[in-house]
Amino acid sequence: MAGNPSAFYWREENFRDSLSSLRDLTRPRSDPFSDNPIMADIETLGIVDEIQALVSDKLQVVSYKWLSRNFLVSSNSAKRLLQEFVEKHGNGLEVVYSLSGWLKDSPSTYHIRLVSSANLAEAKKKFSDNCSVQVYSVQSCIPKDPVALWNAEFVQAEELLRQPPSVDNCLLDNRFCGISNPFIKRNGGGTIPSTTTVPQVKSEALGLRNSNSTVQVKAEQKKVHLPSPSAGVPSSHVVDAKSKLVADKHKVSELLPAKKAVQSDKSSKNGGALANMWGRVPTKPKVDNVSTATSDATPNPVGDEAQICTPEGEDRISDDDDQQVNIRRTSNGEGNRKRRVIFDFSDEEDEFKDAVNLASPDPPKQKSILGSKQTPSAPELEKREVKKVKEAGSKSHGQETSSKNSHEQETSSKKSHEQERKPSPTSKPKSSKVHSPEIISEHASLKNATVKDEVINAAPISPKRRKIVKTRIDERGREVTEVVWEGEETETMADDSTTKKADNNAVNITGDRPPIAKKSPALGSTAPTNQAGKAGNKKAGTKDPKQGNILSFFKKA
Amino acid sequence: MLELRLVQGSLLKKVLESIKDLVNDANFDCSATGFSLQAMDSSHVALVALLLRSEGFEHYRCDRNISMGMNLGNMAKMLKCAGNDDIITIKADDGSDTVTFMFESPTQDKIADFEMKLMDIDSEHLGIPEAEYHAIVRMPSAEFGRICKDLSSIGDTVVISVTKEGVKFSTRGDIGTANIVCRQNTTVDKPEEATVIEMNEPVSLTFALRYLNSFTKASPLSNTVTISLSSELPVVVEYKIAEMGYVRYYLAPKIEEDEEETKP
Repeated sequence: MAGNPSAFYWREENFRDSLSSLRDLTRPRSDPFSDNPIMADIETLGIVDEIQALVSDKLQVVSYKWLSRNFLVSSNSAKRLLQEFVEKHGNGLEVVYSLSGWLKDSPSTYHIRLVSSANLAEAKKKFSDNCSVQVYSVQSCIPKDPVALWNAEFVQAEELLRQPPSVDNCLLDNRFCGISNPFIKRNGGGTIPSTTTVPQVKSEALGLRNSNSTVQVKAEQKKVHLPSPSAGVPSSHVVDAKSKLVADKHKVSELLPAKKAVQSDKSSKNGGALANMWGRVPTKPKVDNVSTATSDATPNPVGDEAQICTPEGEDRISDDDDQQVNIRRTSNGEGNRKRRVIFDFSDEEDEFKDAVNLASPDPPKQKSILGSKQTPSAPELEKREVKKVKEAGSKSHGQETSSKNSHEQETSSKKSHEQERKPSPTSKPKSSKVHSPEIISEHASLKNATVKDEVINAAPISPKRRKIVKTRIDERGREVTEVVWEGEETETMADDSTTKKADNNAVNITGDRPPIAKKSPALGSTAPTNQAGKAGNKKAGTKDPKQGNILSFFKKA
Repeated sequence: MLELRLVQGSLLKKVLESIKDLVNDANFDCSATGFSLQAMDSSHVALVALLLRSEGFEHYRCDRNISMGMNLGNMAKMLKCAGNDDIITIKADDGSDTVTFMFESPTQDKIADFEMKLMDIDSEHLGIPEAEYHAIVRMPSAEFGRICKDLSSIGDTVVISVTKEGVKFSTRGDIGTANIVCRQNTTVDKPEEATVIEMNEPVSLTFALRYLNSFTKASPLSNTVTISLSSELPVVVEYKIAEMGYVRYYLAPKIEEDEEETKP
């Protein structure tokens, strides 16, 4: 048997076959081919024609498994179909049979073997009397590489398993499984979120509703970017009230791997995926960036966390998470809203070097962009604000500002901690409308990043190193606000004073006010703040004009 | 084919520790004469030159000149896996994109192979002319390290002035100033503890302490350090590696304060 290239042993086959035979024995399924011969004939004709086309035109290997999944028939019917096909149109085609039975060798073992039609008779001899012979696959020629036999159905299985759970899919709901139990719901290897369409009627109804509402909400978010919380909340409440089943399902889905949860940003798929992220916050902080100091910018991190944990004081496990996010933002954004330019020169992220981030945190009262009392219309103010920043930018940092937009997008999409230091402009449904399109688009593209931020935000803050916003006057007299890593030594002053300082400076940049002198004793009078980050600021564009260059002494060889 | 066997493996470990803070990636150049490296730090202010002569290796085979680009951080990681008494062998095949470090324990009962990927590094090789220096100071490396460390807690830059009396290191910072003077002192029991000053003319130069501090990472390589100063040249801080070669650091001086002040 080893010498016969067309013979393979296939343990899985063994399993499947016994399963499929079991299935037909145990379950009186509504199989058109077994139950209704007339129907069967009609449909069979179509399928047989199609097989003919696939095999001879597309040169595909048509195996019974592929057939079964593709035409939604049970695998035994598929085998029968193939048999029929071979009898009618078999000439000129190659057939691979699967032989299964007990071998004659002692100790006798149960074997399943794939053999080509040429070797069928010979292979049969090795089996003891009653071996079953079924058509495994039909193809135009025996492939050199046996993998080709299996490839088509493997690709098909992959695709089926990848489909969103809402799609009717024979692999996901395992409908051809012979063993059924009304209390057990099947899902394809645990990869399906809670909203699979399971044959069980009760839960299906609920599950579907849940998924529908979720999808709907998400779709809204996609378009408008900001779903009104009110639109989402009631639906979720309904679901909540309906049954505990849903909640339970969500709990189950929380066990899904976090990777999945993060990846699945396709709205249709991740009914409960974001919930998983929230659920994981304490144990697994996102590691994109080192968890950073957030306290200096977000006014009250502890408060935020609390809000995340108990949104609206109600236990809503199954809620769509974006609502939570928005709720959080809403309450967060009221306090102090301000626009700030942050230059991140920290060495840790070279790729974002020189990136300018236009944040729009909360301004003081007189500057309020979005406050309800303002006299000029919000969009005007908004524009003015942007202009100001641009002016200030082009004066001192023209280059950076010019490439601001692109920077903004890439920075913000990748970089989370910057985001967290600004309460996002989407905090209020109202506010989102008045924001300039660029910012909206930025944030729209960034929904997920923002979510990640909050994960970091909620994660325990690393005590040793943190990012703080530092401001200093550089050698050309410009005021530069930098985000730098600070060691423990500055920790004491990091929280309050830094925040204030940063805020003041931000106002300076946007508002062209005279700089406030001597903010930090830690800043050297003349020297830049090099000491803080070891060799850190070397590349940071804070080059000392007095420092000579080695290249001016040595010539290239 | 390249095969370098270094009995004193700890030496290579120390060499890596002494340069990896200054330079991230560098080309190691191997020729029949030895194993060398020249690289600038990313801001092009400092330059490090390493030479390990072929005589210092127990076995040195280098069929053709080869330049191997390595990430020094990664190389240091691998070398950290070698014991201090281990014999280190560096091996590379022609045209291969990896280099292998083999660590043999002194008793030969443990042999470790670490293969590291090489990288393509564009680096300019600078020609460093032989120069006469105005002043050459030789002093204990630990002493120099201590001075740089202490001064960097006060200020960012150090003024090194060599006069007949000795060498003076001074700095100024927000909290105050500091001056450390080391006198010539040749009357010590051990020659490596001597401070020797050869001076043709007085010289005073300003340097960023940050770089000097990373130079002093080479202190474990040698008991003494030689500091060569000339008013128009980068300072050379040299740590000799016994019987093998040296690690030399070149640092461009800062432009003098008073010149700066004369500007409007």
